[in-house]
Amino acid sequence: MKGFTLWFTGLSGAGKSTLARMVEEALLERGMAVEVLDGDEVRENLSKGLGFSKEDRDTNIRRIGYVCRLLSRNGVVAIAAAISPYRAVRDEVRSQIERFVEVYVECPLEVLTERDVKGLYKKALAGEIRNFTGVSDPYEPPENPEVVVNSATESPEESLSKILTTLEVLGYVPRIEGTDYSPEEEEAVKKRLSDLGYI
Amino acid sequence: MALKWFQQPGRRACVVGLDGVPHTMLTRLMADGVMPNLARIAAASVVRSMTVSLPEISSVSWTTFMTGRNPGTHGIYGFTDLHEGSYRLRFPSFRDVRCDTIWDILGREKMRSVVVNQPATYPARPIHGALVSGFVAVHLDKAVFPARHLRAAREMDYRIDIDAGEVRGDTPRLYRRLHELLDSRRRMVDHLWEAEKWNLMEIVVTGTDRLHHFQFDAWEDAGHPHHGDFLDYYRAVDAFIGEIHTRFVDGGDAENFFVLSDHGFCRTRHEVYPNAVLAKAGYLRLSPADATDLEAIAESSRAFALDPARIYVHRRGRFPRGSVADADADAVKAELRELFLGLEHEGQPVVRHVFDGAEVYDGPEAGNAPDLLVVPHDGFDFKGRVTTRDIVGERRLQGMHTWDDAFFLAGRTDLVEADDADFRLQAVPHVILRSLGLDA
Repeated sequence: MKGFTLWFTGLSGAGKSTLARMVEEALLERGMAVEVLDGDEVRENLSKGLGFSKEDRDTNIRRIGYVCRLLSRNGVVAIAAAISPYRAVRDEVRSQIERFVEVYVECPLEVLTERDVKGLYKKALAGEIRNFTGVSDPYEPPENPEVVVNSATESPEESLSKILTTLEVLGYVPRIEGTDYSPEEEEAVKKRLSDLGYI
Repeated sequence: MALKWFQQPGRRACVVGLDGVPHTMLTRLMADGVMPNLARIAAASVVRSMTVSLPEISSVSWTTFMTGRNPGTHGIYGFTDLHEGSYRLRFPSFRDVRCDTIWDILGREKMRSVVVNQPATYPARPIHGALVSGFVAVHLDKAVFPARHLRAAREMDYRIDIDAGEVRGDTPRLYRRLHELLDSRRRMVDHLWEAEKWNLMEIVVTGTDRLHHFQFDAWEDAGHPHHGDFLDYYRAVDAFIGEIHTRFVDGGDAENFFVLSDHGFCRTRHEVYPNAVLAKAGYLRLSPADATDLEAIAESSRAFALDPARIYVHRRGRFPRGSVADADADAVKAELRELFLGLEHEGQPVVRHVFDGAEVYDGPEAGNAPDLLVVPHDGFDFKGRVTTRDIVGERRLQGMHTWDDAFFLAGRTDLVEADDADFRLQAVPHVILRSLGLDA
């Protein structure tokens, strides 16, 4: 299979890294070469020293995009999980990568504030962190993402299933037969067919 | 797969699907003034009766429509099938469709399709354009492509279907839900008509099929307490078609307007259970005998049925406990044909025709086809379940599908021969592709 870039975007704590790792695992199981570029990790090495101004954020995204491009064109699945708040630079990265799939990990701010896994929202709302995306810095949702998942209303498995389905349909990853419906969906399908007398 | 958003004005076509509307019913509704908009459109069109693919259920018919191929090529034989190497039921989905759809073909020509409520397209997959899956779609977020329309779908309170369990036995609620469903369809069409550039707009109304399943008596009996409600629903459908047509004509390419149904419909008088027929005649044995599904099929079984009337010879090599050698399969088929053709209830023949799968299907998926297809006389509704021991039972619903008496209305009178006595659903997508200037 050819490489491609799977780009997760969304607010901090929405579930980008979790999903990135789940997709990584699923693709490794299918025999694909995968590399994850997690935003937090990248800022510790490739982008060490960059801050959170718009200029620095854009530089960070361009660097991640550059690495993704190199990996993708060499047959690797590059998975980027970064807030990447600005639409223009995301679209710039998209334009440079032939096989690019954008996943918008949606989650309402109130759910994230409640969840606050890293304790950052509390600090940001208290004014202790400046330039915090979604609180004191803007986030521009993608206009044409290939996939939208919602971590407030979906289980991680449901989100994973949506992502893998799209990748399969695009022909970017090999299909695994018989995984169309979750058990819950299969029960719902059965009920619908039964209610109309089909089974 | 093209995911770039081309802007291709070009030719346009518009298709309205009316699930389960018979040609005979449509003709009467137009003649009686219930559907004046459609009557006006029909006056400048060719309207003809047609047969559909077998079995005559929506998932198979609509897949035949969307691909222009028979199940031997597209691979969908029913709402149910068996897992490979097992007798466990599975529910084929859009991902099981084994060939291109017309939207794929158009996409390769950079022509965009907008498809609303197409049954048998769940989970929605990327097409060059937009797709909103219909029955048996479960979750809206897996039923809408591209995802950017999901927010609008939620905000407009888009509904995939009525809850048939909820409305059973509550007729006023059934009608209320059907009208709400139609309004929801209208909202989605309004949204996508403006939000998308398209060459093919396709909208399927499925409330008609639901209405017929629950209320066919109200159609046939003018004295029925809900006869007026039945006709009012069709008036609402007609108004919807009129709006779509007016909008389409205003945008040019007026003649490329098509309306079709995916099967006919008639009143159900009795349910018939082919697995009970097979069990009584000694072809099917379950172990234990009171088992409720085919996973209990005994090795000595020589045949079984899947819904609605797909008959499979229990062949060795094809099924895990299959016992019939290939050399004996034709003889078993011949016996089964006689068995079903000889079926009577209260002196009336039950079966109109038994087709051989090999004569009906061709293509790379034909190896998965049923061996025989039973087509009943009107009124005898075949059900594939194995829980019923009697051959004939009381009807649970008022209406049943028919293989013939579907219809096709084509504004492009030059593309459909008026006297083609053997016109079939499979030909419809080719007409639509030709209307858009593609060889089909």
